[in-house]
Amino acid sequence: MAEISHNDPDQLTESDTRLHRWLELAVPLFSFGGILIAFFFLGQGNIPAMRIAASGCILASFILAYLAWIRPKKDIVALTTPLYAVILFVLPSELIPDLILPILYAISLTILLVRLKYKFGEPGTAVSLGKELGGSLKTYIDRTRGVLKHVSPDTAHRATLAFVQFAQGDYGKVAKIAGTVSVNGENSRHEQSLVRAFSIVREHAELLDKSLTRPYTYQVFKPEDADLLANPLPPDTDKDHEFEMSLDNALLLLYSVSWTASERDRPHLLPRQGFAQKLISS
Amino acid sequence: MKIGKVDVKVSIVAVAVFVFFTIFLLYASLYSPEVRSQLIWMIPALFMLLVIPMALNYMSRSQYDNLEPIYEAEAKPVRIKLINESMVGKPVRIQGVVERVYFQFLNRPQYLVADRSGEISVKMFTSTKEDIKVNDVVEVLGQVIRRYVVTGDPVINCISIRKIEKS
Repeated sequence: MAEISHNDPDQLTESDTRLHRWLELAVPLFSFGGILIAFFFLGQGNIPAMRIAASGCILASFILAYLAWIRPKKDIVALTTPLYAVILFVLPSELIPDLILPILYAISLTILLVRLKYKFGEPGTAVSLGKELGGSLKTYIDRTRGVLKHVSPDTAHRATLAFVQFAQGDYGKVAKIAGTVSVNGENSRHEQSLVRAFSIVREHAELLDKSLTRPYTYQVFKPEDADLLANPLPPDTDKDHEFEMSLDNALLLLYSVSWTASERDRPHLLPRQGFAQKLISS
Repeated sequence: MKIGKVDVKVSIVAVAVFVFFTIFLLYASLYSPEVRSQLIWMIPALFMLLVIPMALNYMSRSQYDNLEPIYEAEAKPVRIKLINESMVGKPVRIQGVVERVYFQFLNRPQYLVADRSGEISVKMFTSTKEDIKVNDVVEVLGQVIRRYVVTGDPVINCISIRKIEKS
């Protein structure tokens, strides 16, 4: 769970970083290393040495593909290099075996590795891979945890349902779920804020479901809700922005309630963390 | 070229291939009697280089035209920020400004469309009805898919893209 983890889930562990560095080194090492060994054996007239060069390139391709796979931003070219390696070096071909092809292939792999490293970002962390909560979303949830932990598990579960269905674009279902949470005169101030969040989400879901645009009057948070909001509105915000920000804040509040007061729903929330991170980054 | 209601477009690559092989065939037939004797099937084959891409474009365009009314009815208008991985398979309608255009010359255009909430890639697997340029304000109808089918960020598989008035 996110709270008991001692490492920063938004950072790679030291052992992972070391492993990735070795794997990055292994790509040119295996591809060019195989060619060098093949050169050595060829000098002694050993023709099957070609297989050593080919094996090095195949192995390097799989390592490159793995390095591409563990990044959140995928590089389709690097991912498909094992396929090309099999086509070029394993499948029967009419090409006369020589070292030109492995050399060109090893150069290509090295260029792809540099491209992957500098254009496709760092390998995924527990946060970017959606395994743990992190970043500004975690900070927001930690900030609101104190006042939201007393929300009933039933309401928190409804918040999960509403958030998940909204993320999936099932706006009709969201409107129904959010409509079942009602205001009670005895509710605390923070519970009133939560009910307002449900109402805002319901209103937006109904409008989206009917493909309607922003109405002239619409629901917003009250000034006393500000301490629960992820992105409190600046005073001179235009109507469109206010309307959109109200929804973002309402959805984030539902996410925070779900995470804090309904632990059993966390497996459903983690895969939608990316969506929540997008909402909070406005 | 219009066939029925469908405006068929051939990519510049297909035209270039046709022109290349036409010149090659003319040159070869001038110097080789063997080639001249084979012209009876070579010339139709040459025209197939144009006819096949045209037929494929006609079929895909007419399919897209049939899908457009369905998407018009079902696609929900959403802000780009609301589009996420959980929406894969959902029909959506977005409005925004075209920031970049790629691969228009291949008849497989890809656009980067942005609204005030964010930006998203819009991929089209056939030619567009109208010429879309950078800075055009457009409405896109399409389905949310992953960039590489099973992995990658969410993008829109575009069924229709059309210019709208700047508001």
